[in-house]
Amino acid sequence: MIPITTASRVDGRLKVTGGARYAAEFAPAQDNVLHAVLVQSTIAAGRVASIDTARAKQVPGVVAIMTHENAPRIDLGKAGDMTPGFPLLQDDRVMFNGQHLAVAIATSFEAAQQAAQLVELHYNRDEATLLMSDNPTGTSVPQRFRNGMRPPASTRGTPQASFDAAAVKIDQIYRTPIEHHNPMEPHATLAEWQGDRLLVHNASQSVFGNRKALAGFFGLPEDNVRIVSPFVGGGFGSKGVSWPHITLAAMAAKLVGQPVKLVLTRRQMFTSNGYRPKTVQHVRLGADRDGRLTAVLHDGISQNSAYGEFSEPVGLASEMLYSCPNVAVTHRLSKVNQGLPTFMRAPGEASGVYALESAMDELAWALGMDPIELRLKNYADRDEHEDKPFSSKTLRACYEQGAAAFDWKRRVAQPRSMRDGRLLIGLGMATATYPVNRSEAAAKVRLQADGTAIVRCGSQDIGTGTYTVMAQLVGEHLGLPLDRVRAELGDTALPQAPVSGGSQSVASISPAIREACLAVRAQTLQLAAGDPASPLHGLDPEELDVADGRILQSAEKSRGETYQALLARQGRAAIEADGSAKPGEEKQKFSMHSFGAQFVEVAVDPDLGEVRVRRHVGAFAAGRIMNAKTGRSQMIGGIVFGMGMALTEATEVDPRSGRVTNATMADYLVPVHLDVPEIEVIMVAEQDDAVNPLGAKGIGELPTVGTAAAIANAVYHATGQRIRDLPIRPDKLIDGLSI
Amino acid sequence: MYFRPTTIDEAIGALASQGGRILAGGTDFFATQGDRPVLGPVLDISAIDALKGIRVEADQIRIGACATWSEVIAADLPPAFDALKAAAAEVGGWQIQNLGTIAGNLCNASPAADGVPPLLALDAAIELAGPAGTRRLPLDQFILGPRRTALAPGEMVVAILVPRRFEDARSHFMKLGGRRYLVISIVMVAAQVALDLQGRVAGARVAVGSCSAVACRLPALERALLGVAAGAGLAGLVRTEHLAPLRPIDDVRATALYRLEAAQTLIGRALDACLSEPAHA
Ligand SMILES: Cc1cc2nc3c(=O)[nH]c(=O)nc-3n(C[C@H](O)[C@H](O)[C@H](O)COP(=O)(O)OP(=O)(O)OC[C@H]3O[C@@H](n4cnc5c(N)ncnc54)[C@H](O)[C@@H]3O)c2cc1C
Repeated sequence: MIPITTASRVDGRLKVTGGARYAAEFAPAQDNVLHAVLVQSTIAAGRVASIDTARAKQVPGVVAIMTHENAPRIDLGKAGDMTPGFPLLQDDRVMFNGQHLAVAIATSFEAAQQAAQLVELHYNRDEATLLMSDNPTGTSVPQRFRNGMRPPASTRGTPQASFDAAAVKIDQIYRTPIEHHNPMEPHATLAEWQGDRLLVHNASQSVFGNRKALAGFFGLPEDNVRIVSPFVGGGFGSKGVSWPHITLAAMAAKLVGQPVKLVLTRRQMFTSNGYRPKTVQHVRLGADRDGRLTAVLHDGISQNSAYGEFSEPVGLASEMLYSCPNVAVTHRLSKVNQGLPTFMRAPGEASGVYALESAMDELAWALGMDPIELRLKNYADRDEHEDKPFSSKTLRACYEQGAAAFDWKRRVAQPRSMRDGRLLIGLGMATATYPVNRSEAAAKVRLQADGTAIVRCGSQDIGTGTYTVMAQLVGEHLGLPLDRVRAELGDTALPQAPVSGGSQSVASISPAIREACLAVRAQTLQLAAGDPASPLHGLDPEELDVADGRILQSAEKSRGETYQALLARQGRAAIEADGSAKPGEEKQKFSMHSFGAQFVEVAVDPDLGEVRVRRHVGAFAAGRIMNAKTGRSQMIGGIVFGMGMALTEATEVDPRSGRVTNATMADYLVPVHLDVPEIEVIMVAEQDDAVNPLGAKGIGELPTVGTAAAIANAVYHATGQRIRDLPIRPDKLIDGLSI
Repeated sequence: MYFRPTTIDEAIGALASQGGRILAGGTDFFATQGDRPVLGPVLDISAIDALKGIRVEADQIRIGACATWSEVIAADLPPAFDALKAAAAEVGGWQIQNLGTIAGNLCNASPAADGVPPLLALDAAIELAGPAGTRRLPLDQFILGPRRTALAPGEMVVAILVPRRFEDARSHFMKLGGRRYLVISIVMVAAQVALDLQGRVAGARVAVGSCSAVACRLPALERALLGVAAGAGLAGLVRTEHLAPLRPIDDVRATALYRLEAAQTLIGRALDACLSEPAHA
């Protein structure tokens, strides 16, 4: 059993001293990099009638202007299901405003920028669809929901009839806007061809996904493509799939026969790398007078692009979160002329649980019942959708410990009844849930003659602490202090690991690393026991242990020797082993989810409608926490993410042109320090022996879920105003308040 | 072409001979540039000593064109400047306050420039230098519209001049944005109140920003407040008709209607804050 550690990030020093190199900071071996700048469409639908590049080409330093007329042809068929195959300059179609239509390539960034400005595009315009449907008319059923792994709709029992007959009903529409991930590090790609081999430095959440995509597009064996991504300045899902700019950089490098660097501007990050789609969610809850749910109906429509498919799975939590015999969930898509949406931190749950948990709060009011009591009354002891037991579920303790830390008792039930001077005070809560994911992964561990170890695994560290957890695992298993372990990741030259998404990294790679460690350890103990010159000679390896860089006898710890001594005598440079691990039968046997409870206090200025979160307590049960320090900071980050969703974040699109009108950090408002109050994170103890050999469930997304609902519920408690349309901006609130 | 002169004459000479865009702290200059490269000559004025610092002169306070927000915050200035100081502390974050200049804020002429309302309330004037010598314009004649000023070709701002008339008046600044700080204002208000010995309003100046193409004073309100006994507070005296000069618009930050309501609330609060806050020595 691995004890919870609080080790600081092993890469912290590199980051704060500027030593960590991000994709855009790499340079090819020869000093011959060219810079690429994207040219984007200014219309939302139509075709490119003609492109005049004459003026652009006159800019000194310009090497080429790549358009659909001269771009290398690529194979759109083999890049993998999740890879957007558009817009890659293969034809003249324009499907959204901001679409890449040309790439200016020049010897300096400035020359490329200037040339990009001078490319003249002429269009044949088509009628664009810019507003998504508010109701099922004009929408469609997803064809590849959850990558084809789940049906887009489900029903159990008699939801409609039970709802119609229910004694108490909630029937409301909830809306969430487009949100953009906005990691601090912009997307960046450096592509270099060496014959028919392609080397790419990329800001990536999935180096192996990028490799598959590029190998597919260029018709290369995967081994000919290497993706490197040692540090990533945040992704939140936006660096998960292989967005077109990556391929365009490689196409540009191929076109001009020189390495090409392409860095997206902040503005371009609102049109080039996906977003959380806008949703319209119809939630209906039916209950008896005692508060027992008799019907749950959740119909979600999410915005989709005109060319690909991404469906926001808003209703999945509604299928399993509460015990109820009659449940119906549907997902539909509304196509508009905008880029393809994608995964964004807690895709589905973040938007869907906002709707469900707002509706639950409304039901609690309708029943005159405490919101926690209502949730406990409908507590699901097993997953009624999948009809399986949970591998573990410690949600009751989350409610209890969260409520105690928050002092939920002081809440006066009546809305608008708590004040602090002229401010209205409100307390709200909501449930959090997120599925446990895991994929196959491999790792290599190498114990070296100098007593240090290297762990290699082609995962990514997107700021989450993967380096630290990898080093920590080796340290624990080989008895080495962290400063004697080096972790290597973010490179397809390393053993294969999955996308850093779905909160699955630790759950996927840890078992593989553990296996490699155990093999190295077993070999080492064997060697010592078998070496006549070792003080441990003759002992059964079972009697041996490792600690502080030494191999020793468990019963007599002073008897032993260092790794260096053993390997030197043996004349070995290193002891090395591979490990690999993949999910087993657990998914067939169990429903696996993390759970949590969010508690929020807000203060609302009744004259201005300004909402300030004053305090947040989140209690989460997510199996074993591998590192309490990095884990806590991820959880706080997840809550802050939810605060932005609740109060400030929304991407605005001009309904006439389809142009994003707030594509800057000045107008797309993420929370800043003063918006974020004291956040208390409680890690509720939970042991789960079924999910994976380490019992770790994943924590990156869970804390975002429920945060927006808890805030909306607190705002209702403070003001008596229910905002069913995120974000809860002052102007939405004030209209109701001043009446 | 990047030119960094050390005297005003050199700068004026360079503007006359080669033209160019003036660069002070660069915090608006580069942000406005967006995804375009910087083309054409740039005149960096940050090495001109004569433009630096804040000086108290016999009948005016002179804020040099290169004085930064941080310098305003640190300067020893009379209570009437409290609103300007408060605005300075709300501009961006520390890095922006260390680089950004008050003059740059005015020349950039954004409807949401936080420096404008406090300086309007202070009756500030702008000193310009150009090929034809220097001239002086009241602030409300200097900023003409969004991103439009009265700067003539070849001219630059040398200083912001504040008359030493209402130094003992108390002043306050309030800013409302979509988040707590580092935000473009939805509404901001600067208020300045001087009381006579009987506690009656002897002078009031109120300016509102982000609610019209150029921030503006509210003369009708200022007149209505004159002579009023301030004991019971002033907020209740702010009427919708006093806001007539405001012409807010709907934009990504807020609706016009919300802006008007919020402005009324903030004006009242800023006025009352002038009464309750002790003047800084
Ligand atoms: C992150 C961030 C946050 C910000 N937050 C705020 C905020 O909260 N409130 C706010 O009001 N502003 C804000 N700003 C805008 C900006 O910082 C201020 O307007 C600042 O005062 C501009 O001064 P500067 O010296 O940087 O001007 P510069 O960028 O150097 O110049 C601005 C403009 O004025 C012209 N100019 C400058 N000096 C002169 C002169 N002496 N004569 C003639 N023309 C001149 C320049 O040519 C240019 O057009 C923010 C900016 C950033 C980047």
